[in-house]
This record gives sequence, structure tokens and C-alpha cells, in this order.
Amino acid sequence: MSYLLPNLTKKKQVDSIIRDTIDKVLVLRFGRASDALCLQLDDILSKSAREVSKFATVAVVDIDSEDVQVYVKYFDITLVPSSVFFFNAHHMKMDSGTADHTKWVGAFHTKQDFIDVVEESGWMGTFVGKPGR
Amino acid sequence: MMKSADKKRKKESKKCEFEFCKVCNLNHDHGNRHKYFPNHTKSLSTFLHRFQTKLSDIRFFLRNPTILRPELASRNRFWCVVCDAEVDEIGSSFACANAINHLASADHAKKLKHFLWKYGGGMDHADNFRFSEADLAKWEKKCHSLNDGSSSCSDRTNGLQIGPSNDIQNELSYKSINDFENNNLGPLTPKFLNNVLPLQYNTHKYQISQSGHPATAADGRIVCGDFEHIGWQNSQHCIPHTDAVGTSNFGNGGLYQGKHMAIGGSNLHGKNLDLMVIFSGLASIAQVSVMAPGLAEGNVHTGAPPPWLEMTVEHHPEDTSVPLSSKKGKSKLNPKRVGAAWAEKRKAELEMEKRGEIVNSDCGPNWLPNFGRVWQSGSRKESLKEFESEKPELPKVEVDPEMPITLRPYVSKRMVRLCSLWPLKMISFR
Repeated sequence: MSYLLPNLTKKKQVDSIIRDTIDKVLVLRFGRASDALCLQLDDILSKSAREVSKFATVAVVDIDSEDVQVYVKYFDITLVPSSVFFFNAHHMKMDSGTADHTKWVGAFHTKQDFIDVVEESGWMGTFVGKPGR
Repeated sequence: MMKSADKKRKKESKKCEFEFCKVCNLNHDHGNRHKYFPNHTKSLSTFLHRFQTKLSDIRFFLRNPTILRPELASRNRFWCVVCDAEVDEIGSSFACANAINHLASADHAKKLKHFLWKYGGGMDHADNFRFSEADLAKWEKKCHSLNDGSSSCSDRTNGLQIGPSNDIQNELSYKSINDFENNNLGPLTPKFLNNVLPLQYNTHKYQISQSGHPATAADGRIVCGDFEHIGWQNSQHCIPHTDAVGTSNFGNGGLYQGKHMAIGGSNLHGKNLDLMVIFSGLASIAQVSVMAPGLAEGNVHTGAPPPWLEMTVEHHPEDTSVPLSSKKGKSKLNPKRVGAAWAEKRKAELEMEKRGEIVNSDCGPNWLPNFGRVWQSGSRKESLKEFESEKPELPKVEVDPEMPITLRPYVSKRMVRLCSLWPLKMISFR
């Protein structure tokens, strides 16, 4: 399903999407297309991408790509899939139920769950003005 | 003594027989005494009250019979708590017809008596939960008169299209479909003229009283599809809403509103009229104001754009040149949002890039966004510095793996000290 979303394999692409997504939530999924859980997450992301397109942008990053390894290390991606949220190039933290608030690990059960998380992130970024902790 | 003991035994045996009370919804072994218990009387009053509210709805239709549309028949059901039976209206032509017949039946009366005997409530109140034969007879009379009225109306309107074939509000009102443009007025005109009364209102105004043929005018009010008299407020009959005759005989006659008519289709030459709709027995009066022909063009059904959209386009024709997002961004977005300063700066850079100007951006090949790490202390900018400081350490580790690693057992400091002292001790012993 990742073919429906922008697939980023180079650092430059990731840089540009982070820098060019202005006043919108950016969701970067780090994973690989061969993983089952990634596929499940990609399915939900691709189906929800249009619905959240007014306030969010969704993209997938292939962690097996060499050029992107610096981001894999920087974001400390150890479990796959992991989704990192940004707003105006600022990293948005969130409480996903685990100790790691820096990213969302795993897939979502339903589209609505994902949309709720994105809305929450957008709300925090736009109205509350805090990137979370 | 023996007799009282026998009586006691009988009572005890009666106590053992459990039965279900549907009023209280519980099983009990109180026997006939149960209906005198205060809890049961309370439950019975609420039970009968609920049943009575349902009966009052049916009683309304008993007094005011209305025709039931076939598509709504399946939705109407009535559960008779006395008979424990469901009464549906499939196949009935009048609202609650089957329910009325059931409540007036002898079988229901018999079961009602048994119910009141078993659960209490008083036989005096039996009439409240059934319909008498006199009521039934009156209702049947009214139904017959309704039927006669509708059949005569349908004869008259045979030559006219009462509504478009897919108009759900008018399905009951017509039996044959004709091409409305032809305006075949023949069947209607002579009979209509015979029943004409002196007009009490202007030619463009009609009073319509509701009968059993509800239909909806273009503005959503209910009008009727059956007509016999003009200007008779309390009539049970209605003006045919496809009365194309009216256009010729009554000047502005006809029950149309604008070009689009829920009744006659858009083929009619729309005549804008004032309509007075009075429902007999109901207090609903709606007056439609006369619309100018220009404004009457286009509505939801014809696919015209809504007026508020047209207004916004008229009011803001100058903003098309300016990108809306930037304007909206400035006015709507919170200035204290996350990364507001960065966003504004970045937008300015993008605009400069669009114009073709060179932008001095700090985005080199080593650029990384601020990232809040898990074990981060301090601001997020420091996480970038930490990462960059960690980076040079990695290549040092990578160079060494080619060297062979020799594994040695762990030797404690004590042992090392002893080993170093051991040769001295050996010498001292000698």
C-alpha cells in the first residue's frame, strides 16, 4: 500500500518534506514494505491520507535504504513500524501508551484511531502551541 | 382441626405453583393474592398507562381516518399487550385499520376481561382499552366517504399528470400518468365548473383543506391532491394540485411555485402563487410569498448553486489574485503555534524561490530537524548536538573489529597481587 503514499528513500527527500510541510502535521512512517505490520499500517495510512489531507501529510520512509540510516539512528528507530510526527519541522511528542513518547510504534486498529491521533497532534501544534513531552 | 390443616396444606400446595406476571415481569408463587400487592399495582398502573398512550394514537386515527401509503404500511405495527399479539398494517389502506379492527373485535374484548380479572385494574376501565362497535361503525363510514372522494377525484384527474412518476409524495394521488404538457383539460373542466362556488379570495389564492392525500409543494408545505370545492375552508376535500385547468379558467390558477413543482414537474409554465394551506383540525398555516421570476430560476433540484456561495463570490472577486492560503494563514492561524516563526520564515523563502531569487538556506547535507529524544535533558536543540557528538565515535569502533580478540579468563586484582608476590615468598621460604 506504500505505493499510494510518497515513498522516501533519500535523506534529501526526507529533509525537503519536513521543511516544506508548513502548518500541517507531517507523519513519517519508518518501516519496510515487506513487514506485515507495516503493511497493515500502510493500509490505514493510505486510506486516511485523503481525509486528513487538509491538516496533515503522510509519507513512508524505507528504513532499509542506506541514505536514510542517519534518520533511523537519529530518531532511534528500533521497532518497526514507527511513526514520527512533525509540525512546522518541530518534532511532536505524544503519549502512545508506552514509555517512548517520541514516536508511535506499531499499527492502528482503525482509520479513526489514526485520524484521532493526527487531530490531537494538530491541535497541540496549532492551538495549544506545545510540541508535547 | 383436620379441616384447617387441610386448608393450610392446600394453601401451601398453591404457593408452590409458580406463575409469571407480565405486568411485574417476574415469576411468583403468590397466586391470586399477587394482584393486590402494592408493587404489582404500581407496575400495573405504569403498564396500562403505556398501553393507553399507544391506544390514544390509534384513537386519533379512529376519529380522523387517513389513507395509508403502501410504502409506510410495513413500518406501522402495534403490539397488543392484552392479547400478546402483533398487529401489522400490511395490506391495509387506512392508517391503523388493522389495529382498529383488532381493538374492536370480540376476541380482544374477551381477552381484555380475562387480563383485567387476572391482573386487576378494574372491569370498569375495560372500555378504555377497546373500541366499541359504534366507534368502529363511524370509522368505517368515514373511510367509505374518503374512498368515494378519492375515487371521484381520480376520475376527474385522469387526463392530468398529478405528479412525476418518481414523486414519492404523490404516488397515492394518481392512478394514470399523462403527458402534462399536452394539458388535456377535457375530463376536468365540465365537472369542475358545475361545482364552482363564488370566489371568496383573489384568483391567485386558494384555500386548501387537508384530506387523505398529502402532497408537498415546492416549498415543503403539505397540500392536497383531491378537490371538490373552492373556498370552503372546512372541506374534507382538496384542490387537485395539478390543476392545469386553473391556468385557463382561473387566470393565475394552479398550485405551482416557481419553475420547479413537486407536483406537476418542471414542464409547467411556472406560475408563482400565494397559497394558503389550512389543515382541518391542525394549526398549520403557511403562506408562500410571490417570488420574482428571475429569482425563481434554479433551486436544489435543478442543481443551481446555493445563494450563500454566490454571495461570497460576488463579495470577494478581488482576492483571486492573492493566494488564499497565505491570507488565511495570517488571519486564522495561532501566532503562538508550534514553529510559527519557522513557518513564516520558510514561507518567505518559498516565495522567494518561486520568484527565482537565490535563498541562503541553512539546509545542508547534514541538516537534521530538532528531535526530542527519549532520554533527553534540556532543549531539543541539544539532542542534535548530542547526536553529532555521538557520530564521530562510531567510526572508531568500526576500525578495530578486524583485530583478533583474545579471550582471557577473569583474574581479580587480589590474584594479580598474589601472583606478583608469589615468587618473593618462594624466595623467602628458601
